[in-house]
Amino acid sequence: MARSIIFGRYSPGKSPIHRMDPRLKLTAVLVAMVVILMSNTYPALAVAAAFVIGFYFVARIPASTALKSIAPLLFIVVLTALLNLFFVQGGTVYAQLGPLVISQEGVHFAIFLSLRLTLLLCMASLLTLTTTTLDLTDALEAMLKPFARFGFPAHEFAMVMGIALRFLPQFADELHTIRQAQLSRGAKITANPFKGGLSGLSSLMVPLFTSAFRHAETLSAGMDARCYHGGSGRTRLDPLTFTRLDVAGLVAIAAMAVCVVAAGMFHM
Amino acid sequence: MIEFRNVSYSYDPAAAAKAPDAGDAQADWGNSPDELWALRDVSFTLNDGEFFGIAGHTGSGKSTLVQHMNGLVAPTSGTVFVDGVDISDKHAASRVRANVGLVFQYPEHQLFASSVFDDVAFGPRNMGCPEEDMERIVREALQTVDLDFDAVRARSPFELSGGQQRRVAFAGVLAMHPRTLILDEPAAGLDPEGRRELLALVRRLHGDMGVTVVMISHSMDDLAVMADRILVLNQGSVWALGAPAEVFADAQACKSIGLDVPAPQRFANVLKERGVALPQPAGGLFTRESLVEAIAAAYRGRR
Repeated sequence: MARSIIFGRYSPGKSPIHRMDPRLKLTAVLVAMVVILMSNTYPALAVAAAFVIGFYFVARIPASTALKSIAPLLFIVVLTALLNLFFVQGGTVYAQLGPLVISQEGVHFAIFLSLRLTLLLCMASLLTLTTTTLDLTDALEAMLKPFARFGFPAHEFAMVMGIALRFLPQFADELHTIRQAQLSRGAKITANPFKGGLSGLSSLMVPLFTSAFRHAETLSAGMDARCYHGGSGRTRLDPLTFTRLDVAGLVAIAAMAVCVVAAGMFHM
Repeated sequence: MIEFRNVSYSYDPAAAAKAPDAGDAQADWGNSPDELWALRDVSFTLNDGEFFGIAGHTGSGKSTLVQHMNGLVAPTSGTVFVDGVDISDKHAASRVRANVGLVFQYPEHQLFASSVFDDVAFGPRNMGCPEEDMERIVREALQTVDLDFDAVRARSPFELSGGQQRRVAFAGVLAMHPRTLILDEPAAGLDPEGRRELLALVRRLHGDMGVTVVMISHSMDDLAVMADRILVLNQGSVWALGAPAEVFADAQACKSIGLDVPAPQRFANVLKERGVALPQPAGGLFTRESLVEAIAAAYRGRR
């Protein structure tokens, strides 16, 4: 069984953040990410970090879970840091090795940008950690709805996304099983075409695709059987509603924006 | 001969290393999805020529256990020996795979080649069998599973019926001439007819061809009749290991871990509760015939 922790896998809970309306949560997270992107000084970043930590605290998600959820994407942070370290020049030169120069500006940018990126990842991860994929696609659908007027298939788009997300872990599991089965038959599974890698790969990909088609057929039959006919005229069992909780969330995000901007100005 | 010596397995070895005690489990039966240990301190020896049944509730670790037998999965702690060789080493494991054939659940889902011939030949080709022997090997394997070589060899496996697909997949493993055959729920999802045929095939492989068989099954009726010994797993630990009569002796205990006793035995147990005790044969009441005989004996004894 493939048990790798997927970026921002839903972590069940009943915290206020879990219970917030997904539409508002999605908007709030987008706003928070913009705020983080706009914070250009260390004090501003520190204030933003304090808010993010506060959000995680309210969501009752332990630091270890939070870190695990962003760990697979940390390579982006490291890459960004390295690129900045070597390619941004200016100020005092600390070390020089041939064409590689480590300067004051480079170090500053490397640290600053990796902190900011980590915060961004934490914020994005908070959304998926506290929201089920079903809620998330509902929120997306609601937010895309205005574009339906111009012929954009908002409902279908959200449905396709929801189904894709739903089947990702399943296909990961199935790929794992297929791989084990072919290994049992002595398959050499490598990408090297000179070592029979291609036939090895087709022994994985063909069963995976047939399985995808099989699931698609079963799923479409199941949807037909329950009279699914697309988005028009569909009502919801649990209509999304805004509550006082969402007002509180809105206030928290507004406070974050104001505080971060203020902290940025203070430094100037 | 396959020997398991104190084998424990965890999906998350890093976390398991922090809590090295593979002791208590929380779920009633089966493993909870977040359970650290899939197998706990499993030790047993599989003898050559044996028909070995493996039973246990869903999630009790059966599939993980058999994947240790050909080195697909390496134990987190403990050792698996195949014919005396430790197979935690990658090269030893890949050598073992020619001798230990593993048929997964729903093996037809792993078919991939454009013709039945190529699919069955996949294993032997990987093992380096010479191409001139291939036709003979594939023909024999398909004959063993009662498929007509000339009729199906050029067809796409995806055109065949579900039952035929499963037999092709079976043939794909048999073509490697394994001395030990591991079957994970071989009859799952088949109709009664297909089920009977498949189990007859397994019996033939064991009886006539002398293959050592390890079979995972949820059907205690099948296991009780076919297996020499049954290993019952519960929460990843060995709960019972012995002849069917020993394993199913205590129906209450079996029930407590989510295991049924075979239907004829269950029938006799209910009769006993209602005050009609049947004579219990030493081999257990596992077939309809033995149940009929026991009822007849009880009836005659009464008169």
